[in-house]
Amino acid sequence: MSSPHPLHRVAIVGVAATEMARQLDTTSAEISLRAARAALDDAGLTVADVDGVAARWPGPGGTVFQPGSADWAEVFGQPLRWVCDTYPQGVPGALDAAAAVAAGLCEVALVFGGQAGVMGGASVADYTRPDNEFIACWGSLTAAQFALVAQVYRHRFAPDPERVAAIAAAIRNAGSENPVAVMAGRGPYTAADVLASPMVAEPFRLLDLCLATEGAAAMVITTAERARDLAQPPVAIMGGGAEWHRQQYVNPPRYDEVWGLGADAARRAFEVAEVRPQDVDVFELYDINTYEVVRQFEMLGLCAEGEGADYLWDAGIGVDGRHPLNTDGGLLSYSHIGWGGPTLKIVEAVRQLRGTAGPGQVADAETALVTGAGSGAQYHNVMVLGRV
Amino acid sequence: MDGPTGELEDRSQRPLTGEFWAAVDRGELVRPVCGDCHRSIFVPQFACPHCQSTNWSYEPSSGRGRVYSHTTIHRPPTPEFDAPFVLADVDVEEGWHLLTWIVGCEPDDVCIDMPVSVRFVTGPDGHRLPAFAPDEAAR
Repeated sequence: MSSPHPLHRVAIVGVAATEMARQLDTTSAEISLRAARAALDDAGLTVADVDGVAARWPGPGGTVFQPGSADWAEVFGQPLRWVCDTYPQGVPGALDAAAAVAAGLCEVALVFGGQAGVMGGASVADYTRPDNEFIACWGSLTAAQFALVAQVYRHRFAPDPERVAAIAAAIRNAGSENPVAVMAGRGPYTAADVLASPMVAEPFRLLDLCLATEGAAAMVITTAERARDLAQPPVAIMGGGAEWHRQQYVNPPRYDEVWGLGADAARRAFEVAEVRPQDVDVFELYDINTYEVVRQFEMLGLCAEGEGADYLWDAGIGVDGRHPLNTDGGLLSYSHIGWGGPTLKIVEAVRQLRGTAGPGQVADAETALVTGAGSGAQYHNVMVLGRV
Repeated sequence: MDGPTGELEDRSQRPLTGEFWAAVDRGELVRPVCGDCHRSIFVPQFACPHCQSTNWSYEPSSGRGRVYSHTTIHRPPTPEFDAPFVLADVDVEEGWHLLTWIVGCEPDDVCIDMPVSVRFVTGPDGHRLPAFAPDEAAR
């Protein structure tokens, strides 16, 4: 018998998300630390067990020279065996941590981050206003970069606007039912509500677009062996992969280059996982806008290019649908927290597989798909999670 | 990008892109062209993304192209920008493309594949920018 894939030697053993709000009366460092400690507590571990960290360092204090994960060693009061500053969140953060644990570089890796006390005043978050030389001068914003991709899709396939809007309405209804969502209790929404909301960047209306909010998220990854003795049922990383098409927000994304972004990563992830996209019980997809949800079902090969909105209309994306989707309300309605938003997808997927997800719980969910970023960002990543 | 006394930055001093902006200030559109594989490079990079040669120089562009995609921005990222305006990705005929604005027509009249040509405009910070307008001669 061949040795197991390295990803199958590790498990996600702890997850946490703090309270979420449009503005929180604390700092990015404090809310991030709170999430980190809560994820360790969830796992039945403490700071003393951590020997690997992937996290942004938001200050205050620490260093101004390459601030990053090593600054947290100072706060945790102990040396680390492994740090990773490349993309310390979401699927890439989880896969980097899993690889480090599988290779024995560290045993308990903590991936965490978020933001607080930063969202005052501006109409959109500063990280949605790319300041690159050939982008900022035109008054572009991240939503506009994604809009340039969606516009070509509309031009070629003319999807039914009501069926596209119904996706945003369904995700927002999940968020409305989620008591800890920023938009809790704000629904119910209909497709007509989405289509009546103000236009931001054609074709995106306000209710097609994700939030920019405050809070933090964290996850703990360790060996499958150690996971057996911890507080929660471990969740397996069945497979994963990433595609970095190019640096984001330097050149405008091209539909013909990025609409299928993630297909190769997904193919590799599902191959290692030994399941198919059809087998996924719950989808926690990166929903920075409605068209990205359409795109990802087409990218996964669950329907043909141009047919995503009709496919999801027929399949159903609510808890009782064929493809339960973004069961916490997603980035559209639950929360999107800067260097922590992608991790929220993993937190919800882990809770789904544990059976502790709250009102959005999918009955007997055994396999979950998590994704990150998308066409307009020109990178995409995919991870298949499952019960051990 | 304004200097400490409020005067405009001298964009001609920027690394990699100084010649591009100096040409814009003269009302000319240029793009980097690789001296080895002869393909256009945009955004400017220290090495050609097609062959990694560092042997490139700025050459004039015809300023003619077509709209690859466009979006009308109704809520700009910062208030200096007058909405609505049309953000577009324009394919320029020498085989390069750039983010820009479509000006000189109503936003609803912009469509994919529409012929356009360069038209220099002044941005909200006072700098000139290479926008594009419908190219009636090419219709």
